[in-house]
Amino acid sequence: MGEVHVYGVVAASERPEITAAEVRRIAHRDIAALVSDVESGQLTAARVLRAHWQVLEQAGAGCTVLPVRFGTVMAGDEAVVDEFLSPSHDDLAARLAELAGKVQLTVKGFYEEGPLMRGVVEGSPAIARLRARVQALPEAAAYYERIELGRLVAAEVERVRERDTALVLQRLEPLALATSHEAAATLDTAVNTAFLVERDGIERFSGAVGELGRELQGRMRLRYVGPLPAYSFTGEDTPAGSAAWA
Amino acid sequence: MAVASAQGGYLERPRPSGLADVIDIILDKGLVIDAYVRVSLIGIEILTIDARIVIASVDTYLRFAEAVNRLDIAQNDGSQGLPELMEGMTEGGAKSKTKGAIGGAKEKLGLGDEDEGDGGGRRRSKSRARNREDEDG
Repeated sequence: MGEVHVYGVVAASERPEITAAEVRRIAHRDIAALVSDVESGQLTAARVLRAHWQVLEQAGAGCTVLPVRFGTVMAGDEAVVDEFLSPSHDDLAARLAELAGKVQLTVKGFYEEGPLMRGVVEGSPAIARLRARVQALPEAAAYYERIELGRLVAAEVERVRERDTALVLQRLEPLALATSHEAAATLDTAVNTAFLVERDGIERFSGAVGELGRELQGRMRLRYVGPLPAYSFTGEDTPAGSAAWA
Repeated sequence: MAVASAQGGYLERPRPSGLADVIDIILDKGLVIDAYVRVSLIGIEILTIDARIVIASVDTYLRFAEAVNRLDIAQNDGSQGLPELMEGMTEGGAKSKTKGAIGGAKEKLGLGDEDEGDGGGRRRSKSRARNREDEDG
């Protein structure tokens, strides 16, 4: 018996239909791990990553799955039981029960550069003045002024980002059971937040996202992804102070 | 890739994810069983993937300065978008830091085809791989 990839944990009564990989269930009492054998030979990160994503997506479509961190490999079936399912049983069962019937919906917002920069310049006389000075100078001569200008703009963008995140949370948080605020991934990221929502509540939540998207149009593009297994609500990495998961 | 966007119409329903949309979630989230169990097997690739972008702050500021200086052009034709700024970041001065890390990881992951059309949408500004590795080790 060789090493196994561990994808996630489901209730032992669930038999999700998974075609993305040769997935087996290893049951222990009322919970079961979804695993597949580690193939010998050439493994590429791309294949393993795709398999992880698709297995959890397919499992999550049919039942509640507690995702295990990507890249988790255990020594064999016995190890999955002895070192994972058995010692963590009560905790895993409790988390599964908590997540039952719930999904993750992720909302990301990206700024449109033009409107964002226009707002920054109009909102800050200091930036407008420095910008005018920089533009009057040859590029090489204005090196330090440009850094200073950029620093001021970055700080202003951060302020706008905080305000917009607050707006999005104010509108969506009341419709969600928990919220996980993810780090701004890029300079143009306005918002990046995961919401835990009841399956029954998806429609209402989507209505609010749609409304928000229309309001922000022209200023921010929203991406709305899901339903996903509750990756951000497994109890790991939940930022302190978020309305989260206990 | 089927992803909802306000411009294309709609956020009325959430869309199933493309891998590129959820790669940050997949790499960073989920239950950690045990630091020691994790990955002798694919650790090296994970490090590569996780080497997602470190933007030196000076470089970031210079890019912001360029963005704000482009404003007049943007007002005229309305076509400048931040994705272009982000493209600029990877193609321009930050090449050695950003293009290298992201390009490399994407090639490894075969994400190219799914990741088009949104210049900098999911690039990350920090790497946690090092910390994780340190903790795990």
